[in-house]
Amino acid sequence: MSDDTFVVHTEEAELPPEPPPHGPMVWARTNLFSSVTNTILSVVFGGITLLFFWNMVGFIIGEDRRWDAVTANMRLLMVQAYPQEQSVRIWLSLAIILVLAMATLAVWGAGTRLSRYAVGTTLMTAGAFLSFLSLIATLHLVLDSRTAVWGLGGLVVGLVLAGVGYQMRQGEESKVPQIPSLMVTAVALAVPIAAFWVIQVPTPILGGGQELAPVALSTKLPLTILYLIAVVSYLVADRTIGEQERFRGPLVALWVLSFPVIVMVILRDPIIPYDLVTSTYLPIGAAFAIVGAVVMWFVADPTKKEAGLGVGALIFVLFLLSWAISVVMVVRILLLMGALFALSAPTFAGEQRARLRYAGVWFVSVVLVTYFVVLVVAESSIRSESGSFLGGLMLTFPLAIAGMALSFPLGVLLALGRTSTMPIFRLLSTAYIEVVRGVPLITWLLVAFVLLPFFLPPGVGIQGVVRAIFAVAFFSAAYLAENIRGGLQSIGKGQYEAAKALGMTTVQMTVFITLPQALRAVIPALVGQVIALFKDTSLVTIVGLFDFLHIARAVIPNQSQPFNFIGVLREPLLFAALVYWIITFSMSRASLRLERKLGLGER
Amino acid sequence: MAVSDKDIIVCEGVKKWFGDFQALKGVTTTVKEGEVVVIIGPSGSGKSTFIRCINRLEQHQEGVIVVDGVEMTNDVRNIEKIRSEVGMVFQQFNLFPHLTVLDNITLAPLWVRKRTKTDAQERGMQLLNRVGIPEQAEKYPGQLSGGQQQRVAIARALAMEPRIMLFDEPTSALDPEMIKEVLDAMKELARSGMTMIVVTHEMGFAREVADRVLFFDYGTIVEEGTPEHFFTNPQHDRTKLFLSQIL
Amino acid sequence: MLKWVAQLAFLAFLIAVVVIVGRVVASNLSNRGINFGWQWLSDPPGFSIREGIDTTPDSGARALLVGIVNMLRVTVAGIIFATIIGTVIGIARLSNNWIVNKIGTAYIETIRNIPLLVQIFFWQALMLSLKTFGEEDVGSYFTHSSVKGIALPGIFPSDGFWQWMVFVVIGLVAARYVFRWRSRLMEETGNESYALTSAIGTVLVFAALGWFLHPLFGWMSAIWGALEGLARGIPAPLYSWAIALAIVAGAAWWIRGFFEARKTPAGYGKFTDDDIFRVAFAALSGLVIAGFVIWLSSRVVQVPSGGSLEGDVTIAELIRLGAGNFWNFFENKFHGSAGSPFAFELPSIELRGAGFAQYGSESIVITVPFFAVFVGVTVYTAAFIAEVVRAGILAVPRGQTEAASAIGLKRSQYLRLIILPQAFRIILPPMGNQYLNLAKNTSLGTAVAYAEVVAVGFTLSNQTGQSLPIVLTWMVFYLTVSLSISAVVNYYNRKLALVER
Repeated sequence: MSDDTFVVHTEEAELPPEPPPHGPMVWARTNLFSSVTNTILSVVFGGITLLFFWNMVGFIIGEDRRWDAVTANMRLLMVQAYPQEQSVRIWLSLAIILVLAMATLAVWGAGTRLSRYAVGTTLMTAGAFLSFLSLIATLHLVLDSRTAVWGLGGLVVGLVLAGVGYQMRQGEESKVPQIPSLMVTAVALAVPIAAFWVIQVPTPILGGGQELAPVALSTKLPLTILYLIAVVSYLVADRTIGEQERFRGPLVALWVLSFPVIVMVILRDPIIPYDLVTSTYLPIGAAFAIVGAVVMWFVADPTKKEAGLGVGALIFVLFLLSWAISVVMVVRILLLMGALFALSAPTFAGEQRARLRYAGVWFVSVVLVTYFVVLVVAESSIRSESGSFLGGLMLTFPLAIAGMALSFPLGVLLALGRTSTMPIFRLLSTAYIEVVRGVPLITWLLVAFVLLPFFLPPGVGIQGVVRAIFAVAFFSAAYLAENIRGGLQSIGKGQYEAAKALGMTTVQMTVFITLPQALRAVIPALVGQVIALFKDTSLVTIVGLFDFLHIARAVIPNQSQPFNFIGVLREPLLFAALVYWIITFSMSRASLRLERKLGLGER
Repeated sequence: MAVSDKDIIVCEGVKKWFGDFQALKGVTTTVKEGEVVVIIGPSGSGKSTFIRCINRLEQHQEGVIVVDGVEMTNDVRNIEKIRSEVGMVFQQFNLFPHLTVLDNITLAPLWVRKRTKTDAQERGMQLLNRVGIPEQAEKYPGQLSGGQQQRVAIARALAMEPRIMLFDEPTSALDPEMIKEVLDAMKELARSGMTMIVVTHEMGFAREVADRVLFFDYGTIVEEGTPEHFFTNPQHDRTKLFLSQIL
Repeated sequence: MLKWVAQLAFLAFLIAVVVIVGRVVASNLSNRGINFGWQWLSDPPGFSIREGIDTTPDSGARALLVGIVNMLRVTVAGIIFATIIGTVIGIARLSNNWIVNKIGTAYIETIRNIPLLVQIFFWQALMLSLKTFGEEDVGSYFTHSSVKGIALPGIFPSDGFWQWMVFVVIGLVAARYVFRWRSRLMEETGNESYALTSAIGTVLVFAALGWFLHPLFGWMSAIWGALEGLARGIPAPLYSWAIALAIVAGAAWWIRGFFEARKTPAGYGKFTDDDIFRVAFAALSGLVIAGFVIWLSSRVVQVPSGGSLEGDVTIAELIRLGAGNFWNFFENKFHGSAGSPFAFELPSIELRGAGFAQYGSESIVITVPFFAVFVGVTVYTAAFIAEVVRAGILAVPRGQTEAASAIGLKRSQYLRLIILPQAFRIILPPMGNQYLNLAKNTSLGTAVAYAEVVAVGFTLSNQTGQSLPIVLTWMVFYLTVSLSISAVVNYYNRKLALVER
């Protein structure tokens, strides 16, 4: 090139971008047959996959499968022996949870918009997969010379879905995000609901054999109503309180309250002993609420400095002394609560409004705690053979939720203790965490069930469910603590220095600066721990609680009346596996979405 | 500077897509043996993608790239042959953190060229002398400054005795006081007659060393010419705009 | 100051709670007439165990040992297979082949979202759905699977095994030198010298030689015998003092390391309360544990008759007995004329007792509980290991691959020289965690009656009512396993740490 030349490429520079090479052939060449090794891999593993699905479908629709063992025992699996005539309580609980969930989705503005292209791709994949499975099923049915009508039906539905998906992907504007993701979810959930009205399920016949029969009305009608409630409540919530931040606090409070209310009031149906309430609980509660509120208002004054610590220590001594005399348990609980409130008063101290709010929080807490104690003391009107009104999936969920709720504060305290500069606290926290994590959960469950009686004063018994909750909670707390510790250690030194520069006390710094950041940073790990805990609840079957898994693997295979399901093990277990899978898989997907929304894990 | 008449790199209508995004829209150019070509252009203009296509760190989908008479295809043997003749220096150094500086340099001669260890180490020390940091031979990359790391990276690439060196923004990740030491090493290399393609924002370097400057924008070469013409008398509007922003 | 008050107050409160609970426990026990102790360790357990090194143990301790061995057996096998499967799946997840990639994803997403216990139950149910066998099936088979398990051809260490092992050990030592020599040769000449192949070849050659020459090592029996005599000759208290001394030395070593780490050219910096507490705590706990060992080993326990020791003996004497037995074991193994190192056995079905068809006693049978636990924990942990491996490889920056291929390394070379060494560092700690989880998860074997340590302990506790000591035994055992695994992981972690500025 001689020194004087220079070239200006005007035409090329103005060219519009061309579309990339496309099409199924290009896709197959890059993803399946890009090299010799890849081609071999594709053929071998494609064959293995085909063989797997052939056998799997063959197993599922096999002639001697006893899926009727699952359908006939659906009630047992879900709620165990909860009385049928009271089942409206369960539907009501589910409705409350759904309404709250929908309001939450609306207030937090959850959901994004998806492009027609993305939805179309999902539809196409799902449709192709469905027709693939249906094709195998049809072949099996034809080979066994059975009627293949359901297989063919699935094939047609799958092909239609894939076709619709393909159509949706066409056109330039199909890549613009315009479909609300929640609408997609709603439509997707409508499919199983609608299917309940159409499909027939294997049902046992008295005296042996099984037949295909429609789903019972007592199942499909409430489910449909629940679905409609969910859709309507979302639409209402979206129009009225949608995306308004001021509703977030109350909503969280409602969630926190909903669990004890649902379990202890709606499901347990307590018979409140009104004479005992008026004679004991009402006066005690009122006295604590009013006197305590004044005390809290007094100590939450910044000019009083550390007065709260003195008052707190005093109340704590009272609490210790209360064990020496015979007194109603609620007094001790309220005293302990008072000590904790007073001790943390300096942290939340502030102007007149802050002091009034602090006293108010105390007042409400006393009322709630007293009410809750009354609920616990009251007898349940629900009578069930197993001695507990919870069972089946309706035991698994409360176990997981209560376990998580209890383990969370403990986990936070342990994490703070382990990262503390105070050696004794750190030593104790570390010892707790390492010992609990070093030993498997089943051992702790056995401790709670075999050893606990020795540790309780005579005459005090604790229900099996409560023991399981505590074992699971104390176990999970150690793991949570390690996760939270990771978050605490990830916080930059600058945050501490800035907080110190603002004149915050160590406690204030922890509560208002470091802990919120640490928790936010470890949300993915925390959700992972929730999932692990949910899976771990299945272990209570070993200590004989009637949870979901226990019914699937120990109750159903031992049934001989009215239908004979003796030794039917694989079908209920596979169903249990499927239910667990759906729950945990949706949780992990939701956590992924939350992670992305919060912008975590990005550097 | 001895620029021969031999074409060592020939590119003909090179196109490349990332998903739906077209990164290269048909790049056509040739590089002669011994020539120093500097590529400039705004970020996202495809200049890095282009030089990464030259030693096939990225695969182009259409067009032809011929390096030293070997065409870039999916044939693994061709790629390996070319990669041992084309050295590359990255923006982020990409030294191997688990190996010492000397091991970083001798790795490829030992495993690819099958040199003896003493031989490779001797040559490695020569190269470290050439880039001016022989005393760091036994340290790990994590213990060096950015400028030193980049010089090690240059030595590592030179250890294969390549005929062509590619530089992908070698000074962009460096603190200002370290840029000079790296540029000096590159200038020394250019004076020795190495064929070099350099993507950089260092206009001073381009002016002083380059035989030719390519201006990239929107995935293609907008303008090319000698440094004098390029900096004193740009023709295309985009070039003018870019130069006015950067100078 | 306030901090110390708060801490000490809390500690006092905690001690008070422990004391109160302790008194409640004591009164509960006396009310129910239960006496917790350790006698059950030497008493006959009163039950037989379905599988293990000893199906009819003569003491509680022996029964627990069987459980421990069973637990370790399934743990080790699980760790090996889970690592292999997990690594393969993890790499499959990174494959650019669509089918392979999707199989990996499907495996992980299915397995890790289903509780392990459900999976173990499922594998058990799968085995229980196999056919049974009866009198008409008596005979010899190559493999046989039924509702009673899977029978496989077995290889057993036979008479000459231990002598042969001496050859293998010598071969291993020799292989080490061969490996170094060939490696050096390659560095000097630059030619491929097949270092690893030659090393493996060396071991094989020694193993082959040993196959014929192993009776040569019969004389080593005398050495073991002498060692046994020595072990039995040392006064028993010396053993406990040696252990105590080792503990104190360990504490001293830790303190030394602590000071070493604080040492700067300018001398030791200021020590905080915290540092002093750590040193004091280490020193104190070292002395306390050492004292406890000495106290414990002078305690007298009752030993059932029949062994070489009878009646009341101290624990120190038991330790001495164990040391003697250890050498005695080798002495016996090397004794006499040695046959072939291995014996082979095909599985068989034979009639036992009153016409019950059973697998022959010489068959290697994978029992239903073992199968369920082993496949369960392996498949489950493999899914997590796959994620660990994938994350580890992805965590190596892309630039490393690019730089390696840009200097001309082949795919196999840069994987081995660049990617794996770096990925390994990242993978190691979470991998250790997964091994730990696997070890703990084997306890779910209880649910399918696999005779591991929790199941055996639980049966023991039901038989003897000694629940508290048995729970303590579990905890000590699992903590030991956990701490050993994390110690190994920490050691390698420190060894592999990258040098940074």
